[in-house]
Amino acid sequence: MPIPDRYWLNGFRSGAFRFALLLAMAFAASATLLLLVVERSVSHYAEEATEGGLTSEAAILQAEDREHGRNGLLRAIDLHRRAGGDDAFQYRLIDHAGQMLVNDFGSSPVRLGWGSAVVPEDRTGPGARSEMFKSLGVRLADGSVLVVATDTYDIDDLRSRLDRFTILAGIGITVFALAGGYLAGGLFMRRLDRVNAAIGRVRAGNVAERLPMIGISPEFNLLSSNLNAMLDQIGALLNGLRQVTTDIAHDLRTPLTRLRQQLETMREHGPAQDYGAGIANAIAQTDEILGIFRALLRIGTLEGGDGRQYFTTVELTELADRVVAAHQPVAEDKGKTLSCDHAAGVEVTGDAELLTQMLVNLIDNAIRHTPAGTHIISRIEHIDGRIVATISDDGPGIPADERANVLTRFYRLDRSRTLPGAGLGMAMAAAIAQLHQVQLDVLDNQPGLRIRLTFPAMPASAG
Amino acid sequence: MKVLLLEDDVATRDYLERALVGAGHTVEACTNGHDAIRLGLAGDHAVLILDRMVPGIDGLGVLKHLRGAGIRVPALFLTAIDGVHDRVEGLDAGADDYLVKPFAAIELIARVNALLRRQPTDDVVTILRVADLEVDLITRGVSRAGQAIDLQPQEFKLLEYLMRHAGEIVTRSMLHEHVWSFHFDPQTNVIESNMSRLRSKIDRGFDFDLIHTVRGLGYRFDAHS
Repeated sequence: MPIPDRYWLNGFRSGAFRFALLLAMAFAASATLLLLVVERSVSHYAEEATEGGLTSEAAILQAEDREHGRNGLLRAIDLHRRAGGDDAFQYRLIDHAGQMLVNDFGSSPVRLGWGSAVVPEDRTGPGARSEMFKSLGVRLADGSVLVVATDTYDIDDLRSRLDRFTILAGIGITVFALAGGYLAGGLFMRRLDRVNAAIGRVRAGNVAERLPMIGISPEFNLLSSNLNAMLDQIGALLNGLRQVTTDIAHDLRTPLTRLRQQLETMREHGPAQDYGAGIANAIAQTDEILGIFRALLRIGTLEGGDGRQYFTTVELTELADRVVAAHQPVAEDKGKTLSCDHAAGVEVTGDAELLTQMLVNLIDNAIRHTPAGTHIISRIEHIDGRIVATISDDGPGIPADERANVLTRFYRLDRSRTLPGAGLGMAMAAAIAQLHQVQLDVLDNQPGLRIRLTFPAMPASAG
Repeated sequence: MKVLLLEDDVATRDYLERALVGAGHTVEACTNGHDAIRLGLAGDHAVLILDRMVPGIDGLGVLKHLRGAGIRVPALFLTAIDGVHDRVEGLDAGADDYLVKPFAAIELIARVNALLRRQPTDDVVTILRVADLEVDLITRGVSRAGQAIDLQPQEFKLLEYLMRHAGEIVTRSMLHEHVWSFHFDPQTNVIESNMSRLRSKIDRGFDFDLIHTVRGLGYRFDAHS
C-alpha cells in the first residue's frame, strides 16, 4: 500500500483519531444529557429554596402583625428591608379599605397566593431594567393583604453559568480528545509506517530485514515478533528451496555435460563411430537424468504430506522378507551377506509401496556403500511396545558429524562420490519415514552403520 | 491388431503411432475424450491406450464410460502423474496396466503385446511347458529334459512370469512390477542377480538357452534364439 506523502495527515487517517472522534461525540452527547439533568435538579432546588424563603417571611410578618399590630408590622418590614440590603424581599401591604400602605412593586398586579411580578430594578432611575419576581400573597387577620416577593435572578444566573460551564467544558474536552487522538494516531502511524517500510524492504528483496518492535503496548510487540518468526520460517524455507535448486542444477550438470560431450564426440568422428552404441548410451544417460527428476518430484510430494489419506494396514514382516529375499543375491554377487531376523506377523499402518521403497533404498545403500565381506542384517522387533526396524552393517560406517547430512538430498560422502547413484535414496527414505511418522535414526553400529526406524505407537485396537 | 490411442500431445502421438505401426498394429488415434468414447464404443479394438490427462473428458472418464458400456477391451493408461495413488486409481477405474511418462516406445509395445496375449479363458493352467522345460504350478516342481531342478521361491516366481510371456519381450519394469511388486525403479541389480541364478539352474549345462537378454530392453524366454 502506498504511503501518502502529506505526512501531517497521518494523525487524521489513523484509527486512533477516528476512535478519539467517536469518543468526543459520545462525550458531547453524555455531557448534554448530564447538563439537562443537573439543570433540572438545580432549578428545582432553587425554586424550593425561594418558595421556602417567601413562605417563612410571610409567616414571620403575619405573626408580627398579630402580636404587635399594624405598626409592629410596618416596623418589621422596614427592619427586614434594611437588614436584607440588596437581596431584601419586596413588600406590598394593602389594608382592608384597598389603600396601599407599602408598595415595592409599582403598578404590577399582585394577588393572593403564588404569583410572579415584573418590577423595575431601580424604581427612580431612568432606563430601569425589569426583573422577574416570585411573589406570595397572604391575608392578614384584619383583612388586609400582604405580598412578599423576591427576585429569581440568582436561579437564572446559576442556570446560565451552568450552561456556559458545560458548553465550555464540552468544547475543551472534545478539543482535548481530538488533539490526543491526532497525536496518538500520529504516533501509531509513525510506528506502523516504520514497520510497513520494513515490510516493503523485505518485499523488495532484502530478506534479512526484520520488523522493528511497534512499542506502545505488549500486544503490538507480540505482533512484531510473530511476524518476524514468520519471516524467519519463510527465510528457512527459501534457503531450503534455494539449496535444492542449486543441488539440482549442480548434480544434473554432471550427467548433462557427459551427455553433451558424448553427442559432440559422435558428431566429430562422423559415421565411422558406432552410432548405435553412442545413441544407446545417450538414451541411458537421459533416462538417468529423468530418473533424478522423478525421484525429486516424488520426494517433494512426500514431504508435502500427500498420501497419508490412503494408509492401510501393511504386513511389514512379509514386505521386509520380500525385499531382503530380492536383494540377497545382489549382496552375494558383491561378496557381502544379507540376512534377516524379522519378528513374525508385524503389521504397521502405512503405504505398502512406499514402505517397500524405503526398505529397498536402505538395503541398497548398505550394499552399495560397504566393502566386500560386510555383513548386513535387517531386523524387525518390538522394543518397549514400539515396532522397530533396523538395517545394520559392519562396514566403515559414517563419521558422527556427517550422519545427519546423509538424509539430505544429493548428499554423498566423499568416498562415495565415484559410485553411481544420485544421492537421493536416503533422502527418499527419510521423506517416506517422515510421511509415516516413523523416526529414522542414523546410528553407530560399532563398527558400521545402523539405520533405525521406530514406528509410531499403534492404537491398542489395531493390535 | 487394432489399437485405440488417445493422446493430445502431437509429438508423443506421432512417436507412439509410428512405434505401434512398426510393431504391426493398426492405430486409430484421437486427441480428446469425446472422440475416444465415440471410437471406443465401436468395440472393435484389441487394446485401448489412453493418456490420463487430456482436455475435456480425461482418460479416466473415458475408461469409466467405456467399461460402463460393457467394453471389456484391455486398457493401458499413459500418464505424467507419478503419484503412488494415481496408479491405484487408474487400475481401480478398470485399467489393466499403467505406464508413467517418459517411457521408451519398446516398453509400450512390450506391455501392449502382454495385454493382447492375455488369455481371456477361464481354464486354470496348472502346468507350463516351453520346449523341454516343464513347471508344475501346483507341486512347484521344475524339470528340464527330465532332470529335476531346485528353485528358490523368487526364482520360481521369475521363471513363471517369463514362461507365461514366452516369446515376448518382458521389460525390466514389467519384471519389477510383477515378480517383486516394485512399482518404482529400485536402482539395484535385483533382476540381474536373480536372473543369473535362474540361468545357471535352467540353462547351464543344457543344449540351448531359454532365457535371452534383449539388449537395452529386457528379456525374452524362448526356445529359439
